[in-house]
Amino acid sequence: MNLLKQKEWSPYLAGTLLGLVYVISIAVTGIIPGASGAFENIGGLIAQSLYPDLAKNTYFQFVMPPGITTAVMILLGIMIGAFVSAKLSGDFKLQTVSDDQWKRVFGKATWKRWLVLFVGGIILEFGAGIAGGCTSGLAIGGGLFLAPSAFIFIAAMFASGIPVAMLMYWRKY
Amino acid sequence: MFEMVFSLAMGFLFGFALQKAGLSKYHKIVNVFRFTDLAVLKFMMTTLAVSMVGVFALNTLGVVALPNIPATYVIGNLIGGLIFGVGMAGAGF
Repeated sequence: MNLLKQKEWSPYLAGTLLGLVYVISIAVTGIIPGASGAFENIGGLIAQSLYPDLAKNTYFQFVMPPGITTAVMILLGIMIGAFVSAKLSGDFKLQTVSDDQWKRVFGKATWKRWLVLFVGGIILEFGAGIAGGCTSGLAIGGGLFLAPSAFIFIAAMFASGIPVAMLMYWRKY
Repeated sequence: MFEMVFSLAMGFLFGFALQKAGLSKYHKIVNVFRFTDLAVLKFMMTTLAVSMVGVFALNTLGVVALPNIPATYVIGNLIGGLIFGVGMAGAGF
């Protein structure tokens, strides 16, 4: 019980738990857990109701079919799990700008954080769509099979992430 | 139906592990790109090591069949990864 209430676990312990999740999920259902696919499934649903013609493209028909898929359930579970974890440790707070480091470096303005979150989210999801997954579904879910795609993706992610962090932090890097 | 409920449970543990590792926080994600906090890498690599050993041990025992492995298309993985990194370092997801 004590462990569940801790604010932060060692990354090795949390990583072991997640590793077991991958093993159990693959062993029981053959599903590789991932987060980014769910957004595309939901996005496809929205496209179907608003712009049916647009939703008939190859991507939504063959690569990422719209619908409430297991990926959506995993995403829902992630939110609930993270919420319960934060509640148990008393880490849960409602804030418009949640991170102290962000406030120190970029100020307290809510619009700035939300703009970066919104635009960053679009960029991230777009990239994940092209690459065929995100950190969870591709980097870990592919990496555990030593799939080349995963390691190309991880290398590329750092190759662009490092200069972006450098540019944003500039002298504070 | 079983798969849906099961995935929800797996997602729950997934989110729990992420939050406990602190990866729901902006600074944890962005600091790995500044090399001031490597928690993301430690977490990812531990996950990789554990899942690798687990899945292939079960596979060798003949209990578990390997699922479809994420496809490799070099240009796509590369360009997608480059775009993804911009969003990840910028927003801190």
